[in-house]
Amino acid sequence: MLKGYAALAALGAIAAFGLAAPASAQERTVKITGFGAKSGVVRVFGINSEAALKAAAEQINNAGGVTLGDGSKAKFVIEFLDDRCNAEEGISVVRRIASTDAFVAVGPTCSNVAESLFGILQKKVGDTSDSGLQFPIIADVAAKGGLAKISEWAFRNVPSEFEMYKSLFAWLKTQHPQLKTIYGGVEKDFAHSNATFGVMKAQAEANGLQILGQGEWLLADTTFSTQVREMRRANADIVAISAHPFTTCGVLKEMDRQGVKPKLLIGLTSSSSIETLQGCAKQAEGIIIPTSFAPVTPEATKAAEQVAKFGGSADLHSAAAYEIMFILKDVIEQQKIMAKPDTVAADRDKMRQGLAALKETNGLLGKVGRTADREAIKPFLYVHAKDGSWQVLYKPAS
Amino acid sequence: MDLLDLIDTVQSVADGVLFGATYALLGIGFTLIFGVMYKINLAYAAASIGAAYASLLILAGVKAQPILVFLAAAGCGGIIGWLIYLVGFRFIPLANPLATLMSTVGLLLLIDEIIVHTTAGVPLNYPALFADVIIRAGPFNLRGDLLFVFALGCLCMVVLLLMLYRTQLGLATRAVSQQPVAAQLCGISITAVNALTFIVTGFLGGIAGAMIGAAIGMLSPLLSLPLTVKGLIVTVIGGLGSIPGAIIAGLVVGGLENVFQFFRGVSERDLYVMLLLFAFLVFRPRGLFASPHVGD
Repeated sequence: MLKGYAALAALGAIAAFGLAAPASAQERTVKITGFGAKSGVVRVFGINSEAALKAAAEQINNAGGVTLGDGSKAKFVIEFLDDRCNAEEGISVVRRIASTDAFVAVGPTCSNVAESLFGILQKKVGDTSDSGLQFPIIADVAAKGGLAKISEWAFRNVPSEFEMYKSLFAWLKTQHPQLKTIYGGVEKDFAHSNATFGVMKAQAEANGLQILGQGEWLLADTTFSTQVREMRRANADIVAISAHPFTTCGVLKEMDRQGVKPKLLIGLTSSSSIETLQGCAKQAEGIIIPTSFAPVTPEATKAAEQVAKFGGSADLHSAAAYEIMFILKDVIEQQKIMAKPDTVAADRDKMRQGLAALKETNGLLGKVGRTADREAIKPFLYVHAKDGSWQVLYKPAS
Repeated sequence: MDLLDLIDTVQSVADGVLFGATYALLGIGFTLIFGVMYKINLAYAAASIGAAYASLLILAGVKAQPILVFLAAAGCGGIIGWLIYLVGFRFIPLANPLATLMSTVGLLLLIDEIIVHTTAGVPLNYPALFADVIIRAGPFNLRGDLLFVFALGCLCMVVLLLMLYRTQLGLATRAVSQQPVAAQLCGISITAVNALTFIVTGFLGGIAGAMIGAAIGMLSPLLSLPLTVKGLIVTVIGGLGSIPGAIIAGLVVGGLENVFQFFRGVSERDLYVMLLLFAFLVFRPRGLFASPHVGD
């Protein structure tokens, strides 16, 4: 009797293997290559982006994968390359990606890389006199405003800091009309901080705040006593700091030492991260930062868990990478991308067209609008540091 | 300049001088190795920061007292110093000055990348002693943690000078520095003295790294390169090979940096520090204190 069962089981296994073998031979994969900083001091951005891309790819694959132009199903495979936050490396990485069958790439981390990289792409589609690279790139992190304008092959799913700070300062005007003056602090040698500081200043002025001055420092500075003393003398109601966590914490600690206690603190989008809380939770208490990600919806909570599973942390930057994978899936299916070696040029063109035609995409916090110059209008909220964590302070109506 | 400006200037100088103690510690490390081997160890500042990071990593999970973390940093610094000697100097032809210079450039980058890969480049909190203490003297404030850094820096310098001038090891070190051939003829092992010099300077570098972390309150891989430049500037201004020179130059550079920052802003601050360096190179190339080379 037992022998009979064993024979049956063996036959079953052989039959299953025989049926499964051709199916697995037919299973197709679509490689999506991400690139960004995975070395140097901004390595954490690359780690988070890679984790987010992989987490989203796993979600899509578990749900059946992506449908290609010929009707077959394919699974996403993620590769992530390091550009070291260096413009030359970034260009070299993208040329390498473009020399393969890839029909789109996701990245980069740094605005200085994006600025140079988008410059080597063909500016206007169909311009035969322009020998620029014809390869669609969608950025997840590079935050400096308006970068996608550089080329019609460049796209971004990056929050508009202009819109975020415009909204924040308008909200502050209604919530804290008694606050009249502002003092700024900026990390002068970092493109993102510098550009965003310009936005903060313009929006502060537009909302009737008097700018009393600004302190400047460099990304690797270690002492801030001189800048904070000037800040103390200004005695402004609001202090706005446009800097990344390392120097934001340095300045906040020095403010604490010198007893500088403004009525309100505003920070840079990138500082709404765990790094700031690890570095100076006590001194950062109360700081308000607009962000396009917080785990406040079921989708966002799930995304944060999935990204953590892949060794990353979900924040406003990596959440953009997560969303991009779903955008790519939709565009691949709408544009009937074939993903075959002999259709690479056509696939790239269709991918570009599909991305350019998007009017709205699904984001983790809600619908994301798309502008004519290939930028995103993402929903956002204001968070503040409270009791050692980031908590939602206010969600503006979209 | 009104009274407030004057007060701020004095305060800036005081803050800079206190923080300059960390530059002095770094400068001593650079200068001691140069004094003994006539080689520049460009990986020194990176190794110092690496030692401070290592102290955090080996004590991770243990709620260690800051002083224990500092001691661990010193120990790690000694080990890293010895490793740097082994990798970057021991088996490399010392007659070719470029070979060791390039090997230490490589080690600087290597240490930096190890830090970045271990920590993902994320800044880490570093403990400090007396961080909440502010000593107020009229309109002036002196940070307790910086005063501690300054005091510990001074103590290290005194201990180092005592070691150099009151111990057998110091005698051997000075002998190798001044007359290497004669020292060998007297039975002193140059290899052993060189290795010990790296361990001692590494130990000092570990303390410097810990003091830098304590003064800032955080460690970041961003620190390695600027501190390497500061260490070199201090060494040149103080006089290559001169320990008192490194001490004075460290404090001077720290103070001047803050003065330049106060009067000219961040975009010009480093420009003036560099001009100071060039002025020394042109008008006083032996620095503040270096005596002419009288070796073999």
